[in-house]
Amino acid sequence: MALKVDYVAREVGSNLRRNVTLTLASVITVFVSLALVGVAFLTRTGVQNATQRWQGGVEFIVFMQPAASEDQISAVQEALDESPQVDSVDFIDQQEAYEEFTDLFADSPEMIQSVTPEILPPSFRVEPTDKDVDVIRALGSEFESKPGVKQVVFAAEAIRTLQDFSRLLSLGLFSGALVLLGAAVLLILNAIRMAMFARRREIEVMKLVGATNWFIRVPFMVEGLVQGLVGALLAIPAVIGIINFIESKLTDTETINLFQGFAVHSSEQFGVAILLLVVGCLVGVIGSFVAVTRFLDV
Amino acid sequence: MIKLENVTKIYKNDVVALREANADIQKGEFVFLVGPSGSGKSTFIRLLNHEEQPDRGRIFVAGKDIGKLSHWKVPYLRRNIGCVFQDFKLLPNKTVAQNVAFALEVIGRPKHVVRTQVPAILELVGLAHKAKNMPNELSGGEQQRVSIARAFVNRPLILLADEPTGNLDPSTSVGIMRLLDRINRTGTTVVMCTHDAGIVDTMRRRVIELDHGTIVRDQDRGVYG
Repeated sequence: MALKVDYVAREVGSNLRRNVTLTLASVITVFVSLALVGVAFLTRTGVQNATQRWQGGVEFIVFMQPAASEDQISAVQEALDESPQVDSVDFIDQQEAYEEFTDLFADSPEMIQSVTPEILPPSFRVEPTDKDVDVIRALGSEFESKPGVKQVVFAAEAIRTLQDFSRLLSLGLFSGALVLLGAAVLLILNAIRMAMFARRREIEVMKLVGATNWFIRVPFMVEGLVQGLVGALLAIPAVIGIINFIESKLTDTETINLFQGFAVHSSEQFGVAILLLVVGCLVGVIGSFVAVTRFLDV
Repeated sequence: MIKLENVTKIYKNDVVALREANADIQKGEFVFLVGPSGSGKSTFIRLLNHEEQPDRGRIFVAGKDIGKLSHWKVPYLRRNIGCVFQDFKLLPNKTVAQNVAFALEVIGRPKHVVRTQVPAILELVGLAHKAKNMPNELSGGEQQRVSIARAFVNRPLILLADEPTGNLDPSTSVGIMRLLDRINRTGTTVVMCTHDAGIVDTMRRRVIELDHGTIVRDQDRGVYG
């Protein structure tokens, strides 16, 4: 049977207006919970981007001269491979370094233009077997004097702290968001239930004259969908605003060098926006679906 | 058109609404269901409409065993059955015409059908001039006419009426009965529950009498009691 779009739109519109307070409550809850989800996602992404080279237990990086010869590079590689204290080594050549750089500064093309792969140093990312700070220092320093080595950089305590903090922060935000999403589902369920109660006469007549179940249900489900969707549409600009604000605050401060790389690319923002839309719609549809199946005994 | 075979319906509190009921109603018949309150008249009607299911026995409507009907087909059964109630069940926020149109719209009838059928049926029930009125501006008899118009606008095979004159005065009731008689003459099978002895005695149609869920009388051209 053809469900008429204008019929559904009219029904949904009048239901939403009739139930303004409850609708607002659901929309706001969806909005806040999705905003938390979005901020959690993007801070984690931002921190990951900022500390990209320090992922996976990398404790120090041996930067070679950009002009280091093949021999010099393979000599360092051998030395690292042979050292019993080294767990794993990851060689980043100039091209890879360049790709990482363009990733990191995807939002500032002028930075990328000023750099070519040739001027970037190739590097070894080293994961030592022993995580003790003194041992790592001693091990790293051995390579500082090797020919062709430009610099050895150690993972700052701060980077670890930052990674832990961001993990905890996003975990906290996610759990909060999860609870709120649950509340949003329940609120939407209730809003739809109220809407159905307000329309019980219509529903009774519809059943009586032989309207199909889906004909009766669809307007209510669309109502739930709209509530979730509106919440998501509010959450997206809020999340992007918050993230850009954090980003500008962090990168402006010269003192906190660590956050210099904190950046969330527009493609990542777009991805999160899509995610929020999908989750918002899901919350709305789930809430209203439960409502129509539980409370609309046809 | 309607056939009950050994139909028994017992409610949860052990009230027997129907016990081993058998009835065979032909197409185009006009049947009165009579009996005291709680004798099972309403259950009879609700079973035909698939609002309730029998505990035992089989019910055929238009040749189909409605006990075997899958869930999603029930609405299509109901499109063949018009229902009229004592309390009209009109939507108070819609006009007379909108109330009637609603019944067509929600089963997906196209707009041009609604535009032609609604005025035609309002003409039939004699309320064309009140099409734009709200239900609360109408008398009880007029409201019942609207409700009959809504039940009949889709031209169902069967019209079920549960005490349609229960809230109306005798002279208004006569008008409603004339209307139901007219609908019956178009070939529609009419089953009507009633307490109104006067109506049953004047019409002299088939009477099925129920008492405590048992059919105690099934008589052609019968009287009330």
